[in-house]
Amino acid sequence: KLTYFDGRGRGEVARQLFHLSGVPFEDNRIPMAEWPAHKASMPFGKMPLLEVNGKPLPQSYAIFRYLAREFGFVGDSPFAAAWVDAVADQFKDYFDEIKSLLFVHFGFAQGDKEKMMKDVAIPARDKFFPMLEKIAKDNHNNGHFVGASLTWVDLLIAEHVSVLLKYMPGFLNDYPTVLSTVKKINSIPKLKEWIDKRPDSTF
Amino acid sequence: SIMPSYKLTYFDGRARAEVARQILYLADIPFEDVRISLHDWPSLKSTTPFGQMPLLEVDGQSLPQSFAIFRYLAKQFGFSGDSPFESAWVDALADQHADYFREILPVLLTIWGFTQGDRMALVKEVATPARDKYFPLLEKIAKDNGLNGHFVGDSLTWVDLLIAEHVGSINQHLPGFLSAYPSVIKTVNKITSTPRLKEWIEKRKETTF
Repeated sequence: KLTYFDGRGRGEVARQLFHLSGVPFEDNRIPMAEWPAHKASMPFGKMPLLEVNGKPLPQSYAIFRYLAREFGFVGDSPFAAAWVDAVADQFKDYFDEIKSLLFVHFGFAQGDKEKMMKDVAIPARDKFFPMLEKIAKDNHNNGHFVGASLTWVDLLIAEHVSVLLKYMPGFLNDYPTVLSTVKKINSIPKLKEWIDKRPDSTF
Repeated sequence: SIMPSYKLTYFDGRARAEVARQILYLADIPFEDVRISLHDWPSLKSTTPFGQMPLLEVDGQSLPQSFAIFRYLAKQFGFSGDSPFESAWVDALADQHADYFREILPVLLTIWGFTQGDRMALVKEVATPARDKYFPLLEKIAKDNGLNGHFVGDSLTWVDLLIAEHVGSINQHLPGFLSAYPSVIKTVNKITSTPRLKEWIEKRKETTF
């Protein structure tokens, strides 16, 4: 059972892992207004929360990694799995820098979008995306960021890039290999199927 | 088969590399413990995958990002929990700790002498709220785990080392800061009494950070 807000945000990669592996799960979506009442029952006071036979597991990346390991999306070797972790944590550092602008786009916060683009988003992008472009190129532009099979960091990055393309078109024009990798990821039939049928949300 | 060669590169301090050193020492695995001065770091930066340290090299293959390194070594040498679900809880607690650490880092950087700042104001306005958000949770976790000397499960994991190292740093510079969290302190004391870890702690070079 996966519990999260009614949006993609920090829960979507877990949902995708379930759909890709064909494992049924309860996709429990909490409306914003109801969230305060649930907060105290969460181990770390936050969502997403995964429950496996009733046993809770918090923290999005711990959830993604656990499901990925169970379903075969962690990479082809322990060292590859470690590289998946490393890219994900590097992405997390970047996301922490850019999220303030995204929250304005999602309607969760007020802000001057143009100013934040210049002061926050562009510097964050210029620090992270050259590395990601190189990673995709060094991985032979094979449709994955690490190794030769789909991993949870592919899903993590593809979901985020989709958000950027929606709210900030052209933002990643300097990173064609990243864009081509994301396109290939999103074309994976079972993932495409989920993306096409999933509930719409702003975030 | 021949054991791979391990090389760990970081600044001359504990901070974001110490857990890796401890895992390798606990597992009795020889490794090259490379320490880079602040002066030499800029010229090395562009040779690393993410422009950052620590960096682990396994038979010459690079792996960046501290938690990826800790998790990889912990898995190789038996410090990642006794089941996949337990490993996931180790990961979850480590990420929760990282969220707290990110908040308190500006205070530590001033205390360690890397940035300028009003130490007393930072402790009051930044470190104290960060602590009060996270440590009650950690106290509960230690109690719920039966006060058995571990934060998750009943064997030593890399999150035990992570938290123990941080608490040690806090005690070094802000004694009494964690006195409201006796179960955490007790758990950390048990962790650092692990014979081989105690040995490492006693013989390692002393550093401010």
